[in-house]
Amino acid sequence: MNKETLLKIENLHVHYGGVKAVDGVSIEIDEGEIVALMGPNGAGKSTVLKSIFGLAPINAGKILWHEKTIKPVSHEIVKMGLAFVPQGRRVFTHLTIEENLEVGGFVIKDKSLVKNRIAEVMDIFPVLKHKRKNKSGSLSGGEQQMLAVARGLMVDPKVLLLDEPSLGLAPKIVKEVFEKIHEINQKRQTAIMVVEHNIKSLLGIAHRAYVLDKGQVVITENHPKSLMTGDRLEKVFLGKI
Amino acid sequence: MNIIPQIVANSLIAGSIYALIALGFNLVYGATRFVNMVPGALAAIGGYTVFFLFNRLGLNIYFSVIAGVVVAGFFGYLSDRLVFRKLRSHKASNLVSFVASLGIFTMLQALISILFTSQFQSVLSVTENPKTYQILGATFTWVQGLIFITSIAAFVSLALILKKTSFGKAVRAVSDDEEVSKIIGINTNRLISWIFFIGSCLIGLSGIFIGFDIGINPTMGLFIILEGATASIIGGIGNVYGGFLGAFLLGFVENFGILKIPGEWKPAIAFGLLILFLIFKPEGIMNKKK
Ligand SMILES: Nc1ncnc2c1ncn2[C@@H]1O[C@H](COP(=O)(O)OP(=O)(O)O)[C@@H](O)[C@H]1O
Ligand SMILES: [Mg+2]
Repeated sequence: MNKETLLKIENLHVHYGGVKAVDGVSIEIDEGEIVALMGPNGAGKSTVLKSIFGLAPINAGKILWHEKTIKPVSHEIVKMGLAFVPQGRRVFTHLTIEENLEVGGFVIKDKSLVKNRIAEVMDIFPVLKHKRKNKSGSLSGGEQQMLAVARGLMVDPKVLLLDEPSLGLAPKIVKEVFEKIHEINQKRQTAIMVVEHNIKSLLGIAHRAYVLDKGQVVITENHPKSLMTGDRLEKVFLGKI
Repeated sequence: MNIIPQIVANSLIAGSIYALIALGFNLVYGATRFVNMVPGALAAIGGYTVFFLFNRLGLNIYFSVIAGVVVAGFFGYLSDRLVFRKLRSHKASNLVSFVASLGIFTMLQALISILFTSQFQSVLSVTENPKTYQILGATFTWVQGLIFITSIAAFVSLALILKKTSFGKAVRAVSDDEEVSKIIGINTNRLISWIFFIGSCLIGLSGIFIGFDIGINPTMGLFIILEGATASIIGGIGNVYGGFLGAFLLGFVENFGILKIPGEWKPAIAFGLLILFLIFKPEGIMNKKK
């Protein structure tokens, strides 16, 4: 099972003034994997994802795509085959569902391909089909999260980065979102990196897990299910590491 | 004689000019979210470009107008490229951006005064174009007719572009959430420069029309920004449709207002309306309450 490594982050450092938000993080994601990136609030999870898209001030470190160093410029990164769904369900509230998906395919030159992709992602998230002409600001939290993920899928990414997709959603909806993530991974072979604060059910679908604390990787686990039991995670969250 | 039709016509013409200003102002405001003074100076640049090419050099009027629009657009683009893009990358506050725009505004005004003196200049003298039209008891010149038609055409084209094209959807996305627009692969800096160009073209056109209708002087920009901002706030700031509506509302309120109040108080009417809106409906006509 030697899968190719798609994205690799090597020894990343990000400082905000005096705050070392990310302090020497190295992580990677291989073809077809679901990777969980967990850790307490303020651990630096979002900053790691933002760095890949050039949205955080990188002090040191490298980002590699297919083993080649790349410059984190967001519109270039998207064209390579990465998509990022940031924390907080940030849909374009003044645009309709359909328009959100259309701009999600902004980098695709062939507009008939955009149409096909919209149909595809609407099959994954049927709720979006029924409300396609509605302004996305009028959707429920769960629907907005689905739309944000669907918008990310418009470019048919090789790697999808999801930042806290469960944030602020009811447990039932969280379960649904995770099922969709699993389904996308299984059916489309999309590699997915999911950032979550402390949602153990994520470990059930992940192939690998990293736990971040204070800007550093404190656990790397190739058998994430093993973290679901025992107290290794609790120790991190209670600050005992 | 019934003067109401004439006042309606005057309101529509004033509204048309305000509408061009508000369209340009709202486009730029929507994408950048700070009150930018530069467009005011760009209106003067549009007007003076036409004055120079048409009145001084005697070039063709249509060529001069197009050149005036493009020159204004180009200066708008430059202001973004050289200054505002840098401020964005530093995440400068709105106050800092406003002050920078005030600096550029003042500089451009000074440049115009140096080149053309601070005298009032008329671009088209009425005697050159005596042709007038009568509709339903209102009299207007062909230039005024042209102003009205152009303004409506500009609005319809802009609305169609924003609604239908992928460029237009990207513009709306950037106005909604700039960071996420970047994340989905929009080169936001390039897009915002285009928005500056287009918005500045519209404002330049308004300056040219003011030159045709009344005349120009280097400090006309302040009035333009105030009227444009008022129309935008009334209609719903950052909302292109709202700004258009607000512009005509402002035109009507001002022109009907001076029936009862002496003409020199016209700006006071605009500000009265602005203050009423700021107190009772700060989100404007077209924007939803936050
Ligand atoms: N734009 C910013 N400016 C200053 N500090 C920031 C900024 N973004 C994040 N931080 C700080 O960096 C650290 C990591 O934040 P973040 O990556 O958002 O953590 P997480 O996503 O794990 O909750 C925190 O201490 C946070 O306060
Ligand atoms: Mg976070």
